Amino acid sequence: MAEGPARPGGAPPPPGDELSEEAAAIEGRLGLARDAEQARRALLARPRFSLRLQIFLGNAIAFLVAVAVAVALIASSHRMESKTRFLEIVNDYVMQVEQARRFEKNFFLYGTNLSDAQDNVFQAEAILNRNAEELAAIMGADWRRQVLPNLHSYARLLEKLGQGAHRDQPVGKAERLKLQSQVRAQGQQMVSAALAVLSKEKAALSEVIARSRQLLFYSMGLLLVFMVFNAYWLGSRMLSSIGRFGQYAGRIASGDFTPVTPTRRYRDEFTELALAINSMIEELEKREAVLVQSHKMRAVGTLTAGVAHELNNPMNNITLTAHMLQEDYADLDDPERREMIDDVVAEASRAKKIISNLLDFARESGSQLEPLDLPHLLQETIALAGNQIKLSGIKIDFQSSGNLPRVHGDSQQLQQVFLNLILNAIDASHKRGSIHVLVLPADEPNYLAVKVMDEGTGIPAHILGSIFDPFFTTKEKGKGTGLGLSVSQGIVAKHGGRIMVSSQEDKGTTFTVVLPVTTIPAQLGSEKA
Amino acid sequence: MSDNLQVLLLDDEPIVGRRLKPALAKIGCEVEVFEDPEEALARMAQQEFDVVVTDIRMDQIDGMQVLEFVRERWPRSKVIMITGYAMMSLAREAMEKGAFDFIAKPFKPDDLRKVIAKAAKALGSEIDFGAAEVDKANG
Repeated sequence: MAEGPARPGGAPPPPGDELSEEAAAIEGRLGLARDAEQARRALLARPRFSLRLQIFLGNAIAFLVAVAVAVALIASSHRMESKTRFLEIVNDYVMQVEQARRFEKNFFLYGTNLSDAQDNVFQAEAILNRNAEELAAIMGADWRRQVLPNLHSYARLLEKLGQGAHRDQPVGKAERLKLQSQVRAQGQQMVSAALAVLSKEKAALSEVIARSRQLLFYSMGLLLVFMVFNAYWLGSRMLSSIGRFGQYAGRIASGDFTPVTPTRRYRDEFTELALAINSMIEELEKREAVLVQSHKMRAVGTLTAGVAHELNNPMNNITLTAHMLQEDYADLDDPERREMIDDVVAEASRAKKIISNLLDFARESGSQLEPLDLPHLLQETIALAGNQIKLSGIKIDFQSSGNLPRVHGDSQQLQQVFLNLILNAIDASHKRGSIHVLVLPADEPNYLAVKVMDEGTGIPAHILGSIFDPFFTTKEKGKGTGLGLSVSQGIVAKHGGRIMVSSQEDKGTTFTVVLPVTTIPAQLGSEKA
Repeated sequence: MSDNLQVLLLDDEPIVGRRLKPALAKIGCEVEVFEDPEEALARMAQQEFDVVVTDIRMDQIDGMQVLEFVRERWPRSKVIMITGYAMMSLAREAMEKGAFDFIAKPFKPDDLRKVIAKAAKALGSEIDFGAAEVDKANG
């Protein structure tokens, strides 16, 4: 998730134009709302493929496969049944025919049992007729064209034999032999045809059994593969989404309030979570803005003490001059009066200057992004903290590398960050200590670093890790809210930068703010500067 | 040396000296004005002043150091501190260290005149407030 801040900066207004500044502030706020709305639409624009649907479809497919397998098994068991039945019929038929042939043999040997043979043939025919349907179903028209006529011609031959025997006429030996061999051949053919059908159908039956076993194995295997695949797919869908949302949570915690945007081709239950998170981000962003503003007002409060003190000087000068002018008016000559009035005017404008910086800083305005000249911004910030610095008797030293590129940011918010660091440095410094402020290119390309270094007491290593936590403070109760660094970190993160600290006890602390250089042409900013 | 009250006024705001010098002169003080604490300290090393009026907050050397110097060098001198609003704790500290009184900016010339008159009284010499009062009445 490397979506950059999608916030449109909007063109900075020309200097001193309050109306367009206001407009830009509104534009900034609308920009945030528009981003959220865009993200919402993009999230909802994708086709829906919910987890519920995937679970439902997965189960439905598995169920359908099982039903299909069951149907196939029922059908094949049906076939097995009818084949078994057919085999039984053919078997009965073969038994009758073979019995008939045994009696036929007896007749040839002993001249007996011919009627038994005819009886068997009759029974065989009865079997065939009784099961005509089943036989037709398996053998088709064959049985009518071959089996039945064969049986009939055998029966006729037997009858012929019988007629010869009954009449007790000595049939010619050659003719009898010819009839005998005809009967044998006919009987043989019938038995072998029936046995051929029998063995063919046995083979067919075992094939049906083998096939239904295979069907069972393959379909179970297929079902297993499908279920494993579906479970894996479902699992990875959920786990990857949970992972992504974990990342979002981390990103939001570090102060990056960019809305969540679509990363997949379809939407599901996690899309609803994304929408909820986006509306939470919007809410958090509003709260953050309130927090930033209230922290700013706190900084203004701190600065006010310094301003009030510093205002005493011009106020005192004006009071003394006005009173002396009143007292000595008659005794003074014109140049003297003129000098005193000039003093009053000059001191009044000095007083105005003392408060105007603070008023500029305190004025509430929406988020406005513009290319900023960091050294200039820091000089303004140092001027803003000037009274405080003077009051505390601390020296501040500012250095900047020449020709630095601009950074893209909100001047008021960044000023708030630097002011916070400088005020912290003042609090940490010993009396008559000094603070160094540096602006220089950062170690990584396309970043600028601002370092605020004090020579104060330093921060003990064991609390160094928690100083950016909200409500963490080492100041006395009522002196610090513990929000300064947390708010600063939020602001810097929103600008795509980082804030780092290094400290040595009794040697001092260095805060480093790293900010990305603007990639937008700087002419907009130079107009303003 | 005249009988006039010797006053040293130290404030890094030039206008303070410019306005207060004539204002204090009217009540009979002889005022030497300094903007630079170093120069003032150098001058005080040479000569005792009856009253030292010093701003409490200045860039290089602050009023506390001036107070300490005077208390040590000229224990008889009365030191009046000029403080700012919101520096009451500093003012209290100055009183503990032996300042005669303090006056908070912004103040009227008369406010300082009254404190100086009190200091003069403590030193055993009355100040003729009349001169200034008469002037004011005329003005």
